[in-house]
Amino acid sequence: MSTPATQTATIQYDDKTVRQFMFFSVLWGLVGMLVGVICATQLSWWQMNGKFLETLTFGAVQADGISYLTFGRLRPLHTNAVIFAFVGNMMFAGIYYSTQRLCKARTASDLLSKIHMWGWQLIIVAAAVSLPAGLTRGKEYAELIWPINIAVALIWVVFAVNFFWTLAKRNESSLYVALWFYIATIVTVAMLYIVNHLSLPTSFPPSYPVFGRRQAGLVRWWHGDTAVACFPTTPILGIMYYFLPKAANRPVYSYRLSIIHFWSLVFIYIWAGPHHLLNTSLPRWLQMLGMLFSLMLWAPSWGGMLNGLLTLRGAWNKLRTDPVIKFFAAGVTFYGMATFEGPLLSIRAVNQLSHYTDWTIGHVHSGALGWNGFMAAGMFYWLAPRLWKTKLWSVAMANMHFWIGLVGILLYVAAMWTAGVMQGLMLGEVAEGGTTLKYDFVETLKAIQPQYILRSFGGTLFLLGFVLCAINLWKTARSGQPHDDTVEVAVPVRSHDSMKLRETLINDPVAYCILGCFTLCLWFFLPPYANVAALVVTILLAIKAIHGFRTRGAKWIDWHERLLHNYLPFTLLVFIAVAIGGAVQIIPSLIVNREENVEGRLQELYTPLELAGRDIYVSEGCYNCHSQMIRMLMPDVMRYSRAGKEDDFSHLGESLFDHPFQWGSKRTGPDLAREGGEIVEGSKFMRTGVRDNVWHYNHFMNPRQTSEGSNMPAYPWLFEQETDIKALPKKIAVQRKLGVPYPAMNQHEIIDKARMQSLEIANNLAAAKVLQPAGLEMDQEEFAKYLADRQVVALIAYMQKLGTYRIQEKKGPAEGQPLDPDSYRTEITGNDDSTANNE
Amino acid sequence: MSEMFKRVVHEDWTTIVPMIAFALMFGVFVVTTIRALRLGKSERERLATLPLNDSDR
Repeated sequence: MSTPATQTATIQYDDKTVRQFMFFSVLWGLVGMLVGVICATQLSWWQMNGKFLETLTFGAVQADGISYLTFGRLRPLHTNAVIFAFVGNMMFAGIYYSTQRLCKARTASDLLSKIHMWGWQLIIVAAAVSLPAGLTRGKEYAELIWPINIAVALIWVVFAVNFFWTLAKRNESSLYVALWFYIATIVTVAMLYIVNHLSLPTSFPPSYPVFGRRQAGLVRWWHGDTAVACFPTTPILGIMYYFLPKAANRPVYSYRLSIIHFWSLVFIYIWAGPHHLLNTSLPRWLQMLGMLFSLMLWAPSWGGMLNGLLTLRGAWNKLRTDPVIKFFAAGVTFYGMATFEGPLLSIRAVNQLSHYTDWTIGHVHSGALGWNGFMAAGMFYWLAPRLWKTKLWSVAMANMHFWIGLVGILLYVAAMWTAGVMQGLMLGEVAEGGTTLKYDFVETLKAIQPQYILRSFGGTLFLLGFVLCAINLWKTARSGQPHDDTVEVAVPVRSHDSMKLRETLINDPVAYCILGCFTLCLWFFLPPYANVAALVVTILLAIKAIHGFRTRGAKWIDWHERLLHNYLPFTLLVFIAVAIGGAVQIIPSLIVNREENVEGRLQELYTPLELAGRDIYVSEGCYNCHSQMIRMLMPDVMRYSRAGKEDDFSHLGESLFDHPFQWGSKRTGPDLAREGGEIVEGSKFMRTGVRDNVWHYNHFMNPRQTSEGSNMPAYPWLFEQETDIKALPKKIAVQRKLGVPYPAMNQHEIIDKARMQSLEIANNLAAAKVLQPAGLEMDQEEFAKYLADRQVVALIAYMQKLGTYRIQEKKGPAEGQPLDPDSYRTEITGNDDSTANNE
Repeated sequence: MSEMFKRVVHEDWTTIVPMIAFALMFGVFVVTTIRALRLGKSERERLATLPLNDSDR
């Protein structure tokens, strides 16, 4: 459906924005990968959490650990830097470059482009400062604090307006498939980001996420998985569909396949989130939904990969000489590998072994390094000579980058696969007799140290390759001059973008679909006889629709053809497709009666001090290494459950009041869901769980003192910094707004309770004559007073509370709602200091 | 078949969700496949060569 042109126009593309995004992508890529390498070494050598500075500064800095450099704080920086800074900037560069050319129009607004470009960099800088400072929301891949999130939303809107405005101004009636992928990216990322980042601030900048418990798990992985789908996958596929044909100088292998690839991917990806929560307390139907749709992803993903590789047919000879083709071919192959492995890991039986181990880390990195990293490098090497009107400075260096990077990825991924499988098997191995487990957690950790070292080496190689890329691109830019393409384009008679909303939605195909679904539902729900009538109506409608298609088929096809020449209706349909997927998973979780969820166990509320301790736990990023979810699997239950308790896996009700929930996704350390215990006799608040207060105190001071071979960092600053007790009233007020049934307490009650509990724990520690932090020499009473204000005591209070619950008695299937805040309040008014597990 | 759905609806209504999901996905897949297969050759080739029609070969 090409459109006749009446006149021509001269257009100069805005390539300056492309150059800027490319520059920052390379810069942040280097930072993100360097931080990744540091994180990798921290898992082999605990000294990399800050102690190494003693050597580097010849003793000027004396610390067992530096708060800004611990794994818990750096790992979110690494993931955010790679996903949102490196891949984000690369994706924007690719989108700005290709959209202008596919639309035959300059980007709509230079001002919006500037705001987008510089705004995004400011967001990255804010993230790079706030995450190491411990300012986090504690949700994986959604750690950024609320002021930054508002900025992200605003900048994304600026990007969307600029993009759709450019589409509206376009001089090419058809929307090439790459643009479809960009539209899907903009719509889905906006929707997911906003839903997953809804928070109520307690002050500046802390906040609590709106979603807690199961919804949080779902929303988080709906976002987390789709963030993976929609940020580093859909836009890169769009980039593949544009740049791969350009590099090979031949059209995409099958345009038909690209259409099927797009719609299948958009419809399936959004459903696959629950595969991150397999074998947990998530309802089985949701787990099956996640697994089913993950397996279905094999088809579109491999369809896309084959379409990409076959585009290179006839151009394979270029593999020997052209680094761009090398990177693209390897990148698309890694896409195929990663998307084969993803659904494989979503099979419940495989997931038993892979989840919480390094196998998942290997999977993610084959996508991030192989697919994203190599596609980025291929695109940069193709773009640089064109953006600076020169030749690539060194083809040999680009080839060297390719081989170093490839070896690096393979070493990394192979190390993680073997580490994951090995640790998974060891954790599940039972001792002779079959009643106990064979290995302690720390033994499995020691066993995979060679693989961890190999991983660090592989990551370093990949980083080295990328340094070569940065040098090559810099030299290329220096050897030429910035160049903005000027082209003569034919301005078509405007027939596109003329479809009205009414025309989009009110027409025969849509009407038949809606009526058909409606009468089918009536067939399911209506009583006998009426349901038969509904079925007859459905069949009649189907016959009428077939008849309508036979007589007015051309009109129906024309409607669909026009849809693809009208970006707004197209965008609306993508939005509907994505929204259905999310709504089906999340809405049932929100509306199903809460009582049904708690399964008898109801989490004990945190006391004010425990809540403060929890915030410290979140701030230090402990969830990066410790899960709080005992899966319904025998090895998990054997390892982490308590003696004498039946079915002691994690139940939904046990994390009902957690904002944010801390189920975790990786166990570099053991699960902590059952770490806590009952109130100590004679104490008002103080609890003792699996280990006593002294053990935790020593563990935070020097983890190797209590767990030989542990790679956990030391936390000396917890013994110096004070707990923010004064912020607790505001925090508890926000928790109540979020539905956590705290009894009514004034600020004095809250602060007094916190102080009483902290003094109990501090007295206990001081009486045990624990080692005082370096530089302190106090008597017992003085030391107890000192300790009571320190963060370590709040954190110990939280650790000793983990996994405590009470039994929610059900009076009958049709009885009321015991989780109603008022009824709960009345119930505990007389004893709101909580009771120990009374199972 | 209606009885099967009724049982699902009454006994545990949430289990119907994956079925609806599958039906929707399958419907979309069929529609887009038909649409892709019916795309005319000339239009298909024109769309496929769009990235090659600019100055940056």
